[in-house]
Amino acid sequence: MDELNEQQVAYGVNAGNAIPPDWLAEFEAAARRPLETHFRYAFIRTYKPVLDDAPFRAFDTTADYRRWCEENLPDWLGYGRV
Amino acid sequence: MGAFEYRQAQEIRDGFQRHGVRYLFLGKSGAILLGFPDTTQDADLFVEKTAENCAALVEALRELGFALNEAQAAEVRRGKDFIQLKNGPFDLDLIFAPDGIERFADAWRRRVEVEGFPVCHLDDIIASKAATNRQKDRESLPRLRSFRDYWMQRHRP
Repeated sequence: MDELNEQQVAYGVNAGNAIPPDWLAEFEAAARRPLETHFRYAFIRTYKPVLDDAPFRAFDTTADYRRWCEENLPDWLGYGRV
Repeated sequence: MGAFEYRQAQEIRDGFQRHGVRYLFLGKSGAILLGFPDTTQDADLFVEKTAENCAALVEALRELGFALNEAQAAEVRRGKDFIQLKNGPFDLDLIFAPDGIERFADAWRRRVEVEGFPVCHLDDIIASKAATNRQKDRESLPRLRSFRDYWMQRHRP
């Protein structure tokens, strides 16, 4: 068993939830980075149609917001409920 | 407008502290502050919904450079459940009633502080994403749950 697989056993809550080795490697790598560097890798900027087209939106309830997303945003943005 | 920067997160932290705003980083932006390696675009803030806190929030947002007119400021003061701001130096989602989290006070008690940033516990971030049940959240949840196991192991007392 290599080092990563040993860690996989150590970190998994149980066998069914063991952390995949590639994810574990990414978690470990991220933990070694200063937060500022981690931020630079994590936050990206792309244009999201409709969503980015108004400077301000307010919804009375979170349910109203979810409904608005489903009715107005393109499906491929992923804001629709499953 | 570019991507959200660490410097801007610091501005939120410092500005909100000056005005006494009670809030928590939530969503993937919160998870990223806890070390989660993934990508996102916006910062999500879970804000305590009290009249005093919402009034302080308006002042803090204006100081940060958000161009809130009076009608918009009134909506923030009323603590509408979900507010999207794209009229400032960075995009911000203000969430006063996130799915999956009953009360701000409970999340506040479970919060994690990272470099002075108040962040929802990963269990709350996961609960919120699971309750939302959006396609994009469903896709990110397995990896986020694995990160939660990893993070809990590293931060075990």
